[in-house]
Amino acid sequence: MSFTSLSFLIFLGAVAAAYYLVPRRWQWGLLLLASYGFYCWGGGRTVAYLLFTTLTTYLAGLLLGKLNRRAKALPPEERKAGQARLRRGKRWAALGACLLNFGMLYLLKYWPFTAEVVESAAGISLYVPDLLMPVGVSYFIFQAVGYVIDCYRGKYEPERNVGKYALFLSFFPQVVQGPISRYDQLSPQLLGEHPLSWDNLKYGIQLAMWGYFKKLVIAERVGVMVNTVFASYWDYPGSILAAAVLGYSIQLYCDFSGGIDITRGAAQMLGIDLAENFRRPLFARSLTEFWRRWHITLGAWMRDYLFYPLALSKPFRRLGNFARRHFKGTVGKIFATSMATFVVYFVIGIWHGANFRYIAFGFYNGALITAGLLLEPFFVKLRQRLPIRWEGKGWHLVQMARTALIVFAGRYITRAPRLLAALYMLKETVVSFHPGRLLDGTLLTLGVTGFDYAVVVLGMAVVLGVEWYQERGGHARQWLERQNAFVQWLGIMVPLLAIILLGAVGQNYVGAEFIYAQF
Amino acid sequence: MNAKKWMIMFVCCLLSLPVLLAGLNFVVDPFGVFGHFTWYSFSETLNPRVGKTEYLEEHWDDYDSYVVGCSSTSSYSVEELNAYLDASFYNLIMYGADMEDVEKTVAYLLENDTVRYLFLNVYVDNGISIGGGEDDLTLKLHEKVSGASPLSFYGGYLMADPNYAMDKLEAMAKDTWLPQTFDVFDEATGVYDKRARDVENISDMERYVAAYPVFADYPVYPTELAATERCMESVAAIRDMCAAAGTELIVACAPVYGEYLNSFSDGDLAAFYTALGQVTDYWDFTYSSVSWEPRYFYDGTHFRNAVGTMALAKIFGNDDVYIPEDFGAYVTAETAADHAAALTNRGGGQDDSGYTREVPILMYHHLSEEGGTDINISTAAFEDQMRALRDGGYTAVTFDDLYAYVEHGTELPEKPVLITFDDGYESNYTLAWPILERYGMKATIFAIGVSIGKDTYKDTGAAIIPHFSLEQAAEMVDSGVISVQTHTYDMHQAAEYETGPVREGVLQMAGESEADYMAAFRADLETAKAQLEQGTGQAVTALAYPFGFSTTLSEALCRGEGIRATVTTESRGNTVIKGLPQCLYGMGRYTVTEISGAELLALLEG
Repeated sequence: MSFTSLSFLIFLGAVAAAYYLVPRRWQWGLLLLASYGFYCWGGGRTVAYLLFTTLTTYLAGLLLGKLNRRAKALPPEERKAGQARLRRGKRWAALGACLLNFGMLYLLKYWPFTAEVVESAAGISLYVPDLLMPVGVSYFIFQAVGYVIDCYRGKYEPERNVGKYALFLSFFPQVVQGPISRYDQLSPQLLGEHPLSWDNLKYGIQLAMWGYFKKLVIAERVGVMVNTVFASYWDYPGSILAAAVLGYSIQLYCDFSGGIDITRGAAQMLGIDLAENFRRPLFARSLTEFWRRWHITLGAWMRDYLFYPLALSKPFRRLGNFARRHFKGTVGKIFATSMATFVVYFVIGIWHGANFRYIAFGFYNGALITAGLLLEPFFVKLRQRLPIRWEGKGWHLVQMARTALIVFAGRYITRAPRLLAALYMLKETVVSFHPGRLLDGTLLTLGVTGFDYAVVVLGMAVVLGVEWYQERGGHARQWLERQNAFVQWLGIMVPLLAIILLGAVGQNYVGAEFIYAQF
Repeated sequence: MNAKKWMIMFVCCLLSLPVLLAGLNFVVDPFGVFGHFTWYSFSETLNPRVGKTEYLEEHWDDYDSYVVGCSSTSSYSVEELNAYLDASFYNLIMYGADMEDVEKTVAYLLENDTVRYLFLNVYVDNGISIGGGEDDLTLKLHEKVSGASPLSFYGGYLMADPNYAMDKLEAMAKDTWLPQTFDVFDEATGVYDKRARDVENISDMERYVAAYPVFADYPVYPTELAATERCMESVAAIRDMCAAAGTELIVACAPVYGEYLNSFSDGDLAAFYTALGQVTDYWDFTYSSVSWEPRYFYDGTHFRNAVGTMALAKIFGNDDVYIPEDFGAYVTAETAADHAAALTNRGGGQDDSGYTREVPILMYHHLSEEGGTDINISTAAFEDQMRALRDGGYTAVTFDDLYAYVEHGTELPEKPVLITFDDGYESNYTLAWPILERYGMKATIFAIGVSIGKDTYKDTGAAIIPHFSLEQAAEMVDSGVISVQTHTYDMHQAAEYETGPVREGVLQMAGESEADYMAAFRADLETAKAQLEQGTGQAVTALAYPFGFSTTLSEALCRGEGIRATVTTESRGNTVIKGLPQCLYGMGRYTVTEISGAELLALLEG
């Protein structure tokens, strides 16, 4: 069930109504029922994968909790020997759960690609089962693995009620595309009792409308032009390719952040605050900061469950010692952490999908950030020498533009049909830009009209205006609340009409005239 | 405002949306059911069933006879029917109509009007399915025809997708004189407005198939005629209703493209056409040599207006119109079975040499003793070329010969060639005419009206090559060797001499409205025609486009002003086709330069 379908709105309305009508101690049960209903409606039998992840990590959590308790209960004299033994057990339990689940993810998402590479490299053809991709698999597996690792670390007591745990993984607004939540933050909210709160309903609806606006009015519209250009990129000069990549950057941001706003809005209607996943990434002043503002929960997951364990692992510590001995100054000090950073961004790239493009994307981000870290001492010296106001607004703007440009170039890699196509398009953008082609009407032959471009530009102006206001510390929904009734009414009607007229009704509409195209 | 109040306002806003939608649809009225911003052609395009019913409700008095059927019905000309039967026809074509729709429509017509003639088109597709009971806003019948509940009918249009209304507003801004995809119907006659399609240049098969690739490899999807029996029940009901009302029923089966006919099994086809004969006598045009000629079709299921002209001529015995010998048969109950059996014995493709000819057109301008440029060749070269044509067995033809060929099927000589001169230079009179006469050739001169008899450019005093006078033109025409036709009156402007805005050939100028342009074009043509016709006594029916520039609109305007052939400067030959007068629009010409007679023959013989 797509978020943009009418059936989802009806479903959400029905769930919200029932949620506040049933006795509060049944609320979490209702959510579990609704979530599995939602998942089965869209995913059918692929619900088995969700159940598999739920059960394996649930049991691993129970086992880890038991081992943790046993370790604490050890009498002082046995503690040392006993803890080592228990730690081995814990390691096996955690590793087992992770391997099972990552193995499943690998089989679903990466095995076809592996088989393809093996076949083209070695000529051996490997069996690729024809499996249906379960909705949101990359999200719920990461969320479940985070839970297992936290249990391993003894961060919290595991959930004993399998239903309550199942709700944590399947909560319907977030199961499709995240955010990747943490058990200790989400679960208490899911299980708590929520009296009807008009504020939550209102804020939730407003946030979801904002998401629909970005997704339906902007992303879907600009996506048409992006698809046209990428489908025959060889027909267009660099400037049009760059325009399409810019369009794609807009599409990706509005679609993804819009989807997350719908998710968070829907959850808020039920009194549940989901973690923030985007914090105005366009205002980032460095690539590192960009990744702290874009898909935040993925970055945080990687930091907590990949970066720290990696940086603190024996091989990396050895690498650190080696670097300190052989490289002078700062480089020697930060070499090992830089390498761990590189691995993290590399993995983030691959997380997006099984493809050389995503490997290249991971490499691109990892290499730039690592290089930035390693060259930092040089930049510090450079900054001291140049007579520029480094804290001024102008420099901030330059930094934002620089970051945007780096991200923009990266988008070539993720959207092109093949890695070589991406490189070709980047080359064309640089060597044969032909700016005149932007004005010769080519843009109007890409399946979108001048009106569509105007809507996208105006829409983005609204998005950026609101984000700028938020960046300065403003709260858009509270601002609206302070206005008079008429403005508040406009605040409902204008977005509603925009979403309906410029977004929703455009889908699937085929004017009768197309029947006559041949006349 | 507290959150609770906000929620109440939000819910009210949600509830107001349907009201707003209804308001939009009521006022803008894209389907034309509420009587606002009446634009029949647009609403009929969205839904011809509903749109045409609304139109007839306002125009019963204008008509006494009707043409009914699915979309191929459109190519039966209302004007021709009116002339043959002295009646006032309205063509009620409805795309995708099945026979049940037609039956209901006929019942509605007979109920509301005294109907003299009913022309029923039965198409082979009518045997595929019947009684779909379409609910779609774009396909449903009007409640006055279907008897559906008015509440659900009008309610449906009130709640229609707002895109329809938006499209109408947008289309109102984009409307042009020629039809576009959103206004394909001609209001007064009810037919598809084919003014644009009927002037598109149709010439050799290769170019036609390149423009209409569907014919290159026509897809055949085996289809069952499962609804023949029910279709015939409806035809019988129509027959009985007409008999009861004293309405004369004419039934005709539309021509079908040969490859499309292959979608059906022989058994189904035989059963369909036999069953129809049991119900009523009918004219059958389904299969003939016409079926294998893609240029007689707009697409696989729609035959061209020109073919409709042939069919009506056959029905009403008009010998003046070209009709292929095997085209059309009158079928009765007795002959139906044999006729239907013959239908299943079809060939596959055919040789078009019996009804097409290649006619190259030569383009000259000025002649002089010395010659030397592309538009000024020497008399010696010209004479050599004419001699070569004569010795090569070529016969010079005129546009009148071409009209006779395409309209009446009058044969052309074995090796026809059409010689033309542009601009109307005096050298045509002094040098070319005697040479043409000497070699038994004929030529057509396209004279620029404003330059006739002048040796200066309009009133500027700037010297130009002298042009022949009207008297000289008349003298040439009287000889029977020369025909003088138009190169426009003043749309062959030379930028270097003009002081005001300059028109590029006949094209619309930047900033000129469509209405102003059309008025200017028509006025120019009318002036040119009047000048030449008064001066020479010969009708002006052919036009050469200045500089070769033309558009669909200019072609349609020419046709409207009685121009039956137009030539461009595109360097190519021409295929002319019997029964398809539109092949004379946008013809190509070969520029003849200072080449020898032998070289000219080589050019013509490709």
